[in-house]
Amino acid sequence: MVTGQDCCGYAERAGAVTDAGHIGGESPAARPRPAGSRSAPGQAGSAVAGPPGAEIQWRRPSPRLLSARRLQAALVTVPAALVAGLCFGLAGSLAAGLAAGLGMVVIGLLGERFLARRVAAWGYAERDDDLMVRRGVLIRRQSVIPYGRMQFIDVTAGPVERSLGLATVRMHTAAAASDARIPGLDRADAARLRDQLAAIGEAQAAGL
Amino acid sequence: MTAPPADSSPPADSSPPADSSPPADSSPAAGGSPPAAADFAAWHRLHPLSPLVRAGRHLASVMVVVLALLFANHNGDGGDLVVNLVVVGLVLGAGVVSWIVTRWQVADGVLRIETGLVRRQSRRFPLAQVQAIDVVQSGLARVLGLAELRLRMAGADSSGGRLASLPRADAEQLRHRLLAMVQATGQAAAGSPAGLPGTAVSAAAPGLAAGPERQLFRVRPGRLAAAIALSRTGAVAAIAVALVAGVVELTHQPGVLASLLPIAIGVVLGVWRQFNGDFGTVVAAAPDGLRLRSGLVQTTAETIRPGRVQGVRLVEPLVWRAFGWCRLEVDVAGPKQRHENRSESQRLRALIPVGSRAEADQVIGELLSTRPVPALRAPRAARWKAPLTYHFLAWGGNDRYVAASRGRVCRKTTWVPLEKVQSVRWVQGPVQRRLGLASVRLDVAGRRVTASIEDRGTAEADEIFARLPGLARQARAR
Repeated sequence: MVTGQDCCGYAERAGAVTDAGHIGGESPAARPRPAGSRSAPGQAGSAVAGPPGAEIQWRRPSPRLLSARRLQAALVTVPAALVAGLCFGLAGSLAAGLAAGLGMVVIGLLGERFLARRVAAWGYAERDDDLMVRRGVLIRRQSVIPYGRMQFIDVTAGPVERSLGLATVRMHTAAAASDARIPGLDRADAARLRDQLAAIGEAQAAGL
Repeated sequence: MTAPPADSSPPADSSPPADSSPPADSSPAAGGSPPAAADFAAWHRLHPLSPLVRAGRHLASVMVVVLALLFANHNGDGGDLVVNLVVVGLVLGAGVVSWIVTRWQVADGVLRIETGLVRRQSRRFPLAQVQAIDVVQSGLARVLGLAELRLRMAGADSSGGRLASLPRADAEQLRHRLLAMVQATGQAAAGSPAGLPGTAVSAAAPGLAAGPERQLFRVRPGRLAAAIALSRTGAVAAIAVALVAGVVELTHQPGVLASLLPIAIGVVLGVWRQFNGDFGTVVAAAPDGLRLRSGLVQTTAETIRPGRVQGVRLVEPLVWRAFGWCRLEVDVAGPKQRHENRSESQRLRALIPVGSRAEADQVIGELLSTRPVPALRAPRAARWKAPLTYHFLAWGGNDRYVAASRGRVCRKTTWVPLEKVQSVRWVQGPVQRRLGLASVRLDVAGRRVTASIEDRGTAEADEIFARLPGLARQARAR
């Protein structure tokens, strides 16, 4: 699943490492840093996908993930709107109840606008030696999990996901902090990914 | 080599190891510990007094409650006392039953513990997977000359084995035997992919675990007391005392003190726990790793094997810095969860509870082969995101370790071996994005050490993020 493109890009960087021998180095003068990094904000603003891994070809979750997320949001919003409307309607006037219910619906709709971007932010890439996962809009995250470090792999599917034929693949390492999951994969895709990761992980397994 | 010879004497079965130790009919181990060497293969019981030790904690708490009740109302009705006594009796009874049905054995490089009356449980602990072995003595156990043996495995839950309690000498001896076996099996498996890197200790002869030690550090009691007084615990205690004094001063009613008693007990317990845990800490270098002993009433002895260190952290609180003191913590794989003692497990194991930088440097040198200095300061833009922590925000690294430091009031420097890195994360929050910053975090299998290279310029962060996985792979392959 690793495309030649990102493989080469990675190899280039790995080569640079062996030349330098040090990452960072002992002295601040060892490597010129971007001057004051004042130029950086403009760069970051223009790049839509998180800066590292621009050359990586990301695979995305199924488009139905958006439907699943919308359904989940609706399942929260509608009861919340009903409860809020009932509470305010019974305690206050009919208008207050309607306003509260509509307010909740508006909040839900606002959240829905955000959902699409969040779903679009998910991505994963199977590289030669590790799996990359990225996510998040407001807080962008990317994780690299070496195949050899995977302790076990979960495939889970909640009721909403199941109804749409989706599943979530979750990788566990020995570190509690490393969190790598890919939601909204086609069930067949998830099973394939799970088996593939497990096989590679076994081949490359490293001790603690 | 790994397993004791199977020709152990059957009569030793079912008698506690304290009284056993039959005449050395077969002494396979050259030096070290001939008498008990062979008979670990037989089934053993724990020491008969272990139920008492196990109930000790409850006993103590009941005592406190009873005393408090007696103080609170002198005409205390006996009902509560009876209930408490019944509870103690039940705990003791359960302990006795559990003692009767529990037995253990070491054979074929596996420690087996069978326990349970209704739900029979047989647990196997392959010695090759053992991360560390501790000998722990609670206060009561110490009076009775008993000790508890704890095996730390790498599992994510509290899957460690416990042998509570054994006679102290036996526990020490068993620990040495087991450690020697761990090394032997670890070396045998070193070639296989699932082997244990880090068993770099050479020539693990059976009796070698009792080999020579080189003392690296010993905490000074006076300095420890002063350091605790100047630490957060001490500050909390001082604030509590001031509060109590203030309340009494304002209300002129000493009776208020009684209601504040629980808080006072809590504070005193906190200070005591820290002092008790760290008192007399001795770090010594031995062939099988760093030996660590500590404790005033409850003593702990453990061996930290160099290849098992997941992270090292140097903590320098503001006040301590004035004296040039620091605290050195080490993180080993696998959680050491003590359900009885949550607050203790929140903290990392302190190799040096308080010491000078020179002492810390020496111990760090023993733990890490090279020591990169976090010399690369964060870009100036980070000042806006982290105005305080910016002061010490820096990182450094070479091809084996990554070092990262942060903090303003409490400076924390973390070293993480690249070969132990489990995953690498790149994180950018909204403020960071505005400022053109990003953070790279390295996760290791320890409990809470994460080397965070915080707030670097995006270009630099991207470069670090792109190169670290490859470097970690090279470090693993080495």
